[in-house]
Amino acid sequence: MHFTEWNSSRLVRNSMRRGKRRNLLTPSTFSLLHAVDFADRFIYQILPPLRAGMIVLADRYVYTAFARDVARGVHPDWVRGVYRFAPRPDLTFFFRVPIDVSLERLLAGRAKLKYYEAGMDLGLSTDLVESFRLFQGRVLEIYDQLAQEFDLRVVDASHDIAGQQKVVRRMTGEILREYDHQRARNRHGSSATAR
Amino acid sequence: MAAQPPHAKRWHGHGLPYLDEKPLPGHLIVLEGTDGVGRSTQVELLRGWLELEGYAVSNTGWTRSPLLSKTIAEAKAGHQLTPITFSLLYAADFADRLEHEILPALQAGFVVIADRYMYTAFARNAVMGADPEWTQEVFGMALVPDLVLYLEIDVDTLVPRVVRGKGMDYWESGLHLALSSDIFDSFQNYQRRIIAEYKRLAHDFAFITIDARESINKIQAELRAHVSEYLRRAQGGLQPQADGPSKPKV
Repeated sequence: MHFTEWNSSRLVRNSMRRGKRRNLLTPSTFSLLHAVDFADRFIYQILPPLRAGMIVLADRYVYTAFARDVARGVHPDWVRGVYRFAPRPDLTFFFRVPIDVSLERLLAGRAKLKYYEAGMDLGLSTDLVESFRLFQGRVLEIYDQLAQEFDLRVVDASHDIAGQQKVVRRMTGEILREYDHQRARNRHGSSATAR
Repeated sequence: MAAQPPHAKRWHGHGLPYLDEKPLPGHLIVLEGTDGVGRSTQVELLRGWLELEGYAVSNTGWTRSPLLSKTIAEAKAGHQLTPITFSLLYAADFADRLEHEILPALQAGFVVIADRYMYTAFARNAVMGADPEWTQEVFGMALVPDLVLYLEIDVDTLVPRVVRGKGMDYWESGLHLALSSDIFDSFQNYQRRIIAEYKRLAHDFAFITIDARESINKIQAELRAHVSEYLRRAQGGLQPQADGPSKPKV
């Protein structure tokens, strides 16, 4: 099993920091910097374990960009084109919460919303919380469309964690059944050859 | 005086749909050509001349964005880049300059001279083995320039220029492609491929090809002739001179 997380590659960390600190990012550069980050992790962290037959668990994938960057105003076909090198996951969960719940959870964990996560760069409102509501409202709307388009499995994330885990494990188990069969076959096959 | 005709600018692909459509009365002129062909020298000469002719000129060059230039330099110093990340970094640099330098200057009516443009990425990516269709899609946010002047050279003429100039460097020799362990062979091989790609692009995107084997002055004179003609057509800007285009002041 291998785990990878959005926006964690070292390659563009400094540009991302510089851009975010000085509010230099435009919807396109925001999108492309995240694409570099993703591509870097895709090539070094996602592709090799997949080729080796391992399971990769990704905390966010291209759909984050499809939702967020389009909410910022880039063309939906353009961002899909940029990420064309990334294969479709075998299973994608979309943990869905109403805006009020995500707002509440974020503010419980830290003092303030971040400039870009609140979509302040779009000038929707001068008030951070209001801007967050408007921007994340758009993001959520697009996610709902993506769920249809790409068959994302929607998990109601306003429920308790144990309940969500149960759903996630059941669906993952279904997908992995075939994978387990195949592994068993491979093991059997390779030991047969060894003999 | 007759009203200036509006300049029909268009995007290479989907463009930047989030921007308000504002008129772009300026002119976007691109100089393309491989490494060491003399682009930067010609850009400087063109700029000086256009300013003397009374134009407000702004120039922009590949990997010069404040957002990305450092990151690209650092990434090139390491060994982390792959064709995909390379392409996307260049695209990010390009987008940053497009939105913060090129479009504002065009809105203000400047002549923007770009030392390399998206075609550099098209040529390099193709040679690196990135999917050409994908590269075109990524650069769909680009504005199509008004004029592309391509400085064409052959490898045999290029080699002594580069050797006498700043020398052969790792990337310009294509050593990242492992074509050969010998830098000289690799340079020749890589540049030959890049030039072949440019030739195709020149055809597909209607570049004006200039013979870069000529002297600096002769190349400059030819560039000025094309720029004059373009500006005259576009806005009646530069008046034709009795003896043809003005001589380069070099």
